[in-house]
Amino acid sequence: MDSLVVSNIRQRPLRSAISILGVALGVALVMLFTGLAHGMSDDLQKRSSNVRAEIIFTRPGSLQLTSSSANLNTRYVELLQKIEGVESATPVIRYFYPSGSFGVDQVEGVEWDGFSKMNNLRLVRGHAPNSPDEIVIDETKAARNHPVGSTLKVFGDKLYRVAGIYAPESGARAKMTLAALQDALEAPQKCTFIYVKVKNPDEQVAVAKRIDQAFPGNKIQFTREVFASIESSIPGLNIFLRVLVLLAAIVSALVIMLAMHTTITERTREIGILKAMGASRGYIISEIEREALLISFLGLIVGFALAAIAGFGIHKATGLIFSFGGWWALTAALIGLLGGALGAFYPAARAANLDPVNALAYE
Amino acid sequence: MATILKADNLEKVYRVGKVDVPALRGVSLAAQEGEFVAVMGPSGCGKSTMLHLLGGLLTPTKGRILIDGEDMTAASDAKRTDIRRRKIGFVFQRFNLFPTLTAEGNLRLAERIHGNGADDPGHRREILRLLRLEDKMHHKPLELSGGEQQRVALARAVVNRPAIVLADEPTGNLDSENSELVLKMFRELNNRFNQTIIMITHNPEAAAACQRIIQMRDGHIVN
Repeated sequence: MDSLVVSNIRQRPLRSAISILGVALGVALVMLFTGLAHGMSDDLQKRSSNVRAEIIFTRPGSLQLTSSSANLNTRYVELLQKIEGVESATPVIRYFYPSGSFGVDQVEGVEWDGFSKMNNLRLVRGHAPNSPDEIVIDETKAARNHPVGSTLKVFGDKLYRVAGIYAPESGARAKMTLAALQDALEAPQKCTFIYVKVKNPDEQVAVAKRIDQAFPGNKIQFTREVFASIESSIPGLNIFLRVLVLLAAIVSALVIMLAMHTTITERTREIGILKAMGASRGYIISEIEREALLISFLGLIVGFALAAIAGFGIHKATGLIFSFGGWWALTAALIGLLGGALGAFYPAARAANLDPVNALAYE
Repeated sequence: MATILKADNLEKVYRVGKVDVPALRGVSLAAQEGEFVAVMGPSGCGKSTMLHLLGGLLTPTKGRILIDGEDMTAASDAKRTDIRRRKIGFVFQRFNLFPTLTAEGNLRLAERIHGNGADDPGHRREILRLLRLEDKMHHKPLELSGGEQQRVALARAVVNRPAIVLADEPTGNLDSENSELVLKMFRELNNRFNQTIIMITHNPEAAAACQRIIQMRDGHIVN
């Protein structure tokens, strides 16, 4: 295409490539960070939605987003089962430990028979954990090269053998026997919380009231409220994402502004020629904006590709889950394009106001 | 023949630091439609300043310019640009082609700037054929000789059929053979299409091809 805009971009391939990468970086950052936040949130919600119990019975302060303690006596299991409306109860220790993947990971200690029956879990391969050094993992964790029979370092230096793989995903991705985790944590007859399944889900509020009356001083939560999205669990996450988006827009705008400023300085005489040919200010601005928008558009495509590749690579390496949503893709696209257009505007306006005689004489 | 260009008592003073430098000191001229006029004079006499004023690239300190009946001096920058776009074509000593566009691309750009929606490949090819560039249409300036580049510049200047062509030393960077060829093209445009041309030149042979010669010195027209 014999177009001034396209030919100008092709004339300086290295500079054009750097400008495109600058825009791509902003776009990719937005996609990766929002993709990670939504991916982890969606994953958490998916695993949470597979918990069939309606009520969590625990001690106040014992269960946080990234920490927990085993300070609830397991004798409450039997007592809770006697409450009118309760179908079943099962104890769980949830333990968070430092992990290279995301800083922290978790494992649950459960009584497999009761837990799996309550939450409709099935073993797709292998068998339930029988000994203190056996664990079962979900299919997502198994897909990261952890087949039945392999070993995993869950926490500390001790290796645990993968006895089985279960589905669907529910809660922590790795589960061991309750007794094994009680031993490891030196918390005999303790758990973090007790899942309570009610006979009639419509009566869960009434059942919760009965539990509270029977065992005051404890914390009773509904699973539908506890397993909220990461965004609502981490205060300020939305603000962080918005600030990130703003910074990405600024990065894109600055890259384009610098590129256009340099380009215009080099092409001062060409701008003088355009003016001598009768090009209006608006025409000159529109030509420069078109060039910036083309660079931004190419940066957009590269940015999306970079985000997809990086997201795939990070997921493969760490297990982190990305979820790239249409709304944020549109936001990233607008950021790339608007950032480019705004960044080019000042150099374009300066170019349009150049004195034509001086511009023609420019060397 | 109608008066296509009229300049009355043009003055132009440049402010250089704290000093006022008068480039034109009261120049009046007129050109009829279809005239081929040469402007000659020593360096610094104000020839280029006058040409830039006539083309609306500069505003005079005093005086008045009418281009095909439209007053350039009273016009805003946007209006002068509009008059220049519609009525004036420029040819420069340094060719001033866009290096990233082909010969035809340079002409198409001029059509696009003209903004009348015209994209007339037939007309472009006719102009290029007239200027003996039909086999150079798809060549970029770096692939053309000096004479060919200047002919492309001339084609670009006339593609929109302007009322006036203003040429600033169009043969200044050419050898004698190419100079003669370019001047021949100017004459042909003038004869065949009644194109009004005002040309600055130091070359007496080039001036001899014109119908009228204006001599300038020290910001005045002396002859």
